[in-house]
Amino acid sequence: MRYGLGPEVLRDISFHLRPGSFHFLTGPTGAGKSSLLKLLALSHRPSRGLITLFNKEVSSLARDDLPSMRRKIGVVYQDFRLLDHLSALENVALPLKIAGAKNDQIYQHVAELLEWVGLGRQVDAKPPTLSGGEKQRVAIARAVINRPQLLIADEPTGSMDAEMGLRLMYLFQELNKIGTTVVVATHDLELIKRFGNPVMFLKDGLLTTRAQDELPATFSKDPV
Amino acid sequence: MIQFFGRSAELQLEKDVSTRYLPVVIAAMIFLAALSIGGLFSLSNAISDWSKTLTDNLTVEIAFDPSADLDKKVTDAVALLSATPGVASARAIKQDETLQLLEPFLGKNAALGGLPIPRLVEVIIAQDSAIDLAALNRKLAEAVPGARLDIHRPWLDKMVLLGRSIQILAAGIMLLIGCVTVIIVIFAVRTGLIMHSEVIQVLHLIGARDNYIAEQFQNYFSRLSFLGALPGLIVAIIVMFIFNFLVGSLEASMLPPLTVGIEGTVALMLLPFLVALLTKYTVRRVVLKSLRRMM
Repeated sequence: MRYGLGPEVLRDISFHLRPGSFHFLTGPTGAGKSSLLKLLALSHRPSRGLITLFNKEVSSLARDDLPSMRRKIGVVYQDFRLLDHLSALENVALPLKIAGAKNDQIYQHVAELLEWVGLGRQVDAKPPTLSGGEKQRVAIARAVINRPQLLIADEPTGSMDAEMGLRLMYLFQELNKIGTTVVVATHDLELIKRFGNPVMFLKDGLLTTRAQDELPATFSKDPV
Repeated sequence: MIQFFGRSAELQLEKDVSTRYLPVVIAAMIFLAALSIGGLFSLSNAISDWSKTLTDNLTVEIAFDPSADLDKKVTDAVALLSATPGVASARAIKQDETLQLLEPFLGKNAALGGLPIPRLVEVIIAQDSAIDLAALNRKLAEAVPGARLDIHRPWLDKMVLLGRSIQILAAGIMLLIGCVTVIIVIFAVRTGLIMHSEVIQVLHLIGARDNYIAEQFQNYFSRLSFLGALPGLIVAIIVMFIFNFLVGSLEASMLPPLTVGIEGTVALMLLPFLVALLTKYTVRRVVLKSLRRMM
């Protein structure tokens, strides 16, 4: 994958995610984690190579077919990407509204989900009035409201304290238990070790699978 | 109407500063377009009236001759014309009436009495009759020396040509207004797309189709166009009324009043809807084309 006419940021990457699995994606800053997630989220197309999602080759998917594929994928961004002028309820309801669901069904489901992520009292709050952790939970609720088959989270705990980060990870585990394939990109090695899920290690644009004990203690300038 | 225009719930285009003055520009365009339509239909009606009036109407002109008995010539001409088959009526136009006809050209207070003015006879041709006008002209010239039949055709042809030329010019102005409106809307939409690119990206990534995004743009911009077109049209109608009032109040004016007729009125009333539709179509094309360049 490359941005415009720039150099390739990812190359020779090949991996398979089993449906219902939970993987961490880690690596030093600038390794290409976000770029890999962009490919998985169908936000960018690869400059070469193939990507198969849900048994369909998507690297050259027709533009008209992209929305239906994207609705099977939930993405939690590091910077949340919530719409500030919409309430928490409206932000979470957006994927359902876009998919054409009826209003009464939308708001019943959304209210339940916001309750589940602990934001039952802040349904009408606008994102600028919420804390980082609360925004992240709204973003997660928005990502899972459509019951996606694949959930991608980019540094989901980066903007919150350790306790809140753990709570979010337990939330991802709950979603994984009901069959959602989860990929969490993080450079928080403590978090990875605590949960013990398979780890994909990305460095200099190359991807390898590593066991927990093969991970570096920290990401220094020259890790491992 | 609200359903037709909708709201840009996610994009919040209503809060864009860049499009705040678009209704003003659209109002100016519609004002000019409405005046063009007014002129177009008024001329069309005027040409139609001239043709209708002059086709069945002839004038006999008896040249001024101080040594001849002009009253006798007029009486002879009226008698000859009245006896001609196909002539419905022949009426001598009195000297006072002739002077009134000259007022628009020479003014009310001109010393008309001393001018060598020819004597006129108004001739009405019966409907569905076929008269050989050339033969009638010869016969008249022989019976009444100095008499000439004026069938108005050369004058009317020139007026029709002038009218048609002005109509083409008005249609050209309309086309130009349409093009300028489209260009202004395209610039405004492109600015909106750049300003809202982040939200558009989020909408795309959570599964929004291009149509969903395009609808928000097209509804908002067509609403702006419609709301801008209304005051533009109202001001143009007021200006037309003022023009007609001034024309009516000017004595012996050569200017015809603006009379758009039923077709013109319908065209004027449709103008805000047409500009809203034009905007909607333009915005849709621009947005869909721009979105196709995104992933």
